[in-house]
Amino acid sequence: MQIRDYIIRRLMILPILIIGTSIIVFALTRIGGSPIGIYLSHEMSPAEVQEMKERFHLDKPVPVQYFYWIKGVSQGDLGWSGVASAPVVDVFPKKFAATMELAIAAGIVAVSLGIAMGTFAGARRNKISDHIIRVVSVSGASMPLFWFAILLLIIFWVWLGWFPIGRSDPNLFEAIPHPTGFYTIDALLAGNFSAFRDAIWHLILPAVALGYGATAIIARMMRSSLIEELQEDYVDAAKAKGLAERVVLKKHARRNALVPTVTVIGLTFGFLLQGTVVAEIIFRWPGLGRWMASAVLRGDQATIMTYVMFTSILFLFVNLVVDIIYAYLDRRVVLGD
Amino acid sequence: MSPDNLDIQNSLDKDLIASVTDLKVYFESKQGMVHSVDGVSFDIVDGEMMGLVGETGCGKSVTARTFMQLVQSPPGVLAGGNIKFRSKNIKNGSQVIDLLDLSENQIRELRGERIAMIFQDPGKALNPGLTIRTQVAEVFQEHRENDVLEKAGLKNKLSGVTEYFVKKYIKQEAGFLVTTLFKIPPLSTYKKKIDSGINRLVAEALEETQIPNPTKVMERYPHELSGGMKQRVMIAQAIACNPDLLIADEPTTALDVTVQARVLDLIKELQKRHKTSVLYISHDLSLVRRICDRIAVMYAGQIVETGDAETIFNQPKHPYTQGLINALPSMSHERGKLEAIEGIVPELIEPEPGCRFVSRCMRRKANCEEIDPKLKPISEVNKSHKVACLLYEA
Amino acid sequence: MKKNAQNAGIDEVNFNDSAFKVRLKRNLEILSNVLANPTTVLGLIIVILMLAMAIFAPVITEPNTPDPYQMPRDWKAARSAPLTPGHILGTTNRGGDVFYGVVWGARTSLKLSILVVTLTVVLGVIIGSVAGIVGGKVDEILMRIVDVFLSIPELIFALAIAAILGPSFTNIILALVIVFWVKYARIMRAQVIRIKQREYVDAAKIMGASKLQIYLKDILPNSFSPVMVQATLDMGNIVLVGATLSFIGLSEAGIAEWGVLVSEGQAGISAGRWWASTFPGLMVFLWALAFNLVGDGLRDVLDPRTETKR
Repeated sequence: MQIRDYIIRRLMILPILIIGTSIIVFALTRIGGSPIGIYLSHEMSPAEVQEMKERFHLDKPVPVQYFYWIKGVSQGDLGWSGVASAPVVDVFPKKFAATMELAIAAGIVAVSLGIAMGTFAGARRNKISDHIIRVVSVSGASMPLFWFAILLLIIFWVWLGWFPIGRSDPNLFEAIPHPTGFYTIDALLAGNFSAFRDAIWHLILPAVALGYGATAIIARMMRSSLIEELQEDYVDAAKAKGLAERVVLKKHARRNALVPTVTVIGLTFGFLLQGTVVAEIIFRWPGLGRWMASAVLRGDQATIMTYVMFTSILFLFVNLVVDIIYAYLDRRVVLGD
Repeated sequence: MSPDNLDIQNSLDKDLIASVTDLKVYFESKQGMVHSVDGVSFDIVDGEMMGLVGETGCGKSVTARTFMQLVQSPPGVLAGGNIKFRSKNIKNGSQVIDLLDLSENQIRELRGERIAMIFQDPGKALNPGLTIRTQVAEVFQEHRENDVLEKAGLKNKLSGVTEYFVKKYIKQEAGFLVTTLFKIPPLSTYKKKIDSGINRLVAEALEETQIPNPTKVMERYPHELSGGMKQRVMIAQAIACNPDLLIADEPTTALDVTVQARVLDLIKELQKRHKTSVLYISHDLSLVRRICDRIAVMYAGQIVETGDAETIFNQPKHPYTQGLINALPSMSHERGKLEAIEGIVPELIEPEPGCRFVSRCMRRKANCEEIDPKLKPISEVNKSHKVACLLYEA
Repeated sequence: MKKNAQNAGIDEVNFNDSAFKVRLKRNLEILSNVLANPTTVLGLIIVILMLAMAIFAPVITEPNTPDPYQMPRDWKAARSAPLTPGHILGTTNRGGDVFYGVVWGARTSLKLSILVVTLTVVLGVIIGSVAGIVGGKVDEILMRIVDVFLSIPELIFALAIAAILGPSFTNIILALVIVFWVKYARIMRAQVIRIKQREYVDAAKIMGASKLQIYLKDILPNSFSPVMVQATLDMGNIVLVGATLSFIGLSEAGIAEWGVLVSEGQAGISAGRWWASTFPGLMVFLWALAFNLVGDGLRDVLDPRTETKR
């Protein structure tokens, strides 16, 4: 099959999935009852309540409400966030940048550490590294993020005092403009090195906590696919050319072993995204996840809907991109031999 | 590369390029030690083609891989023996070394340079993720950095630090930082020259194996080429440095019948032109007879008979060799009646003493099960024809 | 003629007998293979200890009255460190005994995981079987629904559902069922389609077996092992996700549940009171670890071809 056909087919399914997700999300919020509560106050008369209902189309049947919602979304109206006391659209970008900064940092930790660990264990195949990687990967899949994060917090914040919590030192960041919302990048753009250092310093602990599970998954996949590649004939052929072990490993085997690992990296993105909810609560990180957590506890439907929709769409797109990369990288599979 | 005293220890008849003596390679398994190669000895005459024949699993490929120290360990164990090899290194003149004594770095200098190998399935032996150019180039980069410099027009034009780093870069020894530096000016001009130099070497190598349009082919990935073409690329890669010994491990088995003959002719032709010695491994006795000067027949990890091709074919002595030849289809045979050798190859896990072929042998004697037959010359007249069978022991 | 019939009868008995023996032998073989892996055995030991703790919770600690699933509050001993007499693992800010929470949390987790796994397996197996057997449009629609469910990250989906339904432990169970059935539907459908194409099902068809017979006798038993592996893994995962939801605050406050306890303990962390969060969190970890190890071991033995892709 041609890569192009494959991509087109995937792109055609995408709208179905997005519409399906939006229906589920909308249906869910309506099961919980009408969201009219957040627009009302005790002083309103029944007539005023009716007026509010009409204003937000809540007097119509639920399917009709769905179309009003979609219409609103397409016009940039995501509703009113009771938690933030502001329109969702206004609050969203800032919080999104904070969450993405954390998720990307955790992703960098997971990918680099996972590939390094997997390569190490796969290349030196012996009992000890086998057991270590097994323990790390199984414990990574079983580790409750909220517990691991709290352990890090206790050790490195309470006991050792090496790392701060929160996102930044406000004194340093008040003076800096925020064109991107990524504090590390903003600090670099402003040329303020101490602010940059501060941003990095605040990132390390939550990024490590969030990235641990993904690291384990990636390391495990990398190890098993590297072991598989090292059994291939072309590895012997490369050695027979007189190449150094290092070149055989890095240029030949590892490059091919990365192909299946890419798929897993895509999957771990969903893992990281949902993990931000917990990590942000514990490390007091002012992002989408923490916002979502308080929205959940206070029934803030507009925020919940936006958040679930947005993360699902993001997740779908990342998986699509990963599939395309995979199809492109693994010529053996797609184009046949 | 090797200390002088090795020359004294290692003597090798003048006409030989390599000599294997009592080679033993075992494999660890859950059931016990598998004696894959169990006391193999044979010589390869300089400039000749030596055929190593046997069934699948008889240890012929393991023997071949041992020449390059390519047997994975664990589970592989080198249990004894040596392989003497005359390396006609241009710098130091020729010298004799034991291939099994060499360190990883020493054997690496020989691999692809003095000893090269062609693999059974070119579809698997070429890296699917790299272009043909990249893969063939590696041989030149590893062993011929001066040729690369010359073709790049950089020979004697560099000095000091630049020369050091350019050479490191060519040999793929440079780290990530240096490699990146070569991608940006001012070093990128060197990279361009080096690349075009390599391109020319690769194109020449591909041309040598009669690949049409080498400059186009080298930009392709392996899956875009046919099986025969891929094997030509493998051959080009193997003979790129004009090695003293070429090991061909069933190079035509994975190919279409129509392509087989052409690839075979190519190997034969190249061997004649470059006077390369070849160790040709195959399960196909008639094919080996066609192209080889000498033949060694292997069975269950041991050599049972060896001699020049015609003698083996016309006067086979060992019952196994005789069985093999009888099993070949030929004009004189009745149609549809092929003789097979009865029985199966014995397990090679911790084998019992005695002849390995005894369970299938039609001519076995009473003591065949107890005494290990030794590989001995059949007569005083023809010393090169040896057989390991009690029938011929006095 | 008569003799022949007799012979046939004897043969049949022998055949059944040997088939039974073969099956028994195979099961014993699987068991011994599972037990040959030391990490699986470790997981099994932890699982047994956890189950024992859940079952004997009323014996280990005195049940709180009237509801034993509620944390007892000892306000006078609030904020005690571990090894305080009467509070071996210390207490929370609000006087909850950590040891009581750890022990009864096992019972809560067992209740949660068994309920959710049973419901999801039943739901998933039914939907997956229908999709696989009926095929065509029904299959297409059901699988698109499955795709949509899979396109929302697990925890976020469960979080949204539990939030909409309102904070309570029962709603967490519901939310987890809605999220977790999908995998079983997929596994079951794939199995049905795979087995449907096998020769022995054709043979059964030729012999005149009805669809339902084929399903009950050939397809269902053969789909057992992948469902079993997934169910074992989910016994751990469900407690993991459930505890996370509780930690975020979607259970009733004050119930003896590990995630709730970690959340309650969080308040004392900045003051250095590490124990109230650490011990119950460790329990979640051990619970999930144990079932993951056993599930992994089962997978290796039952279906060695599939590499872990999660």
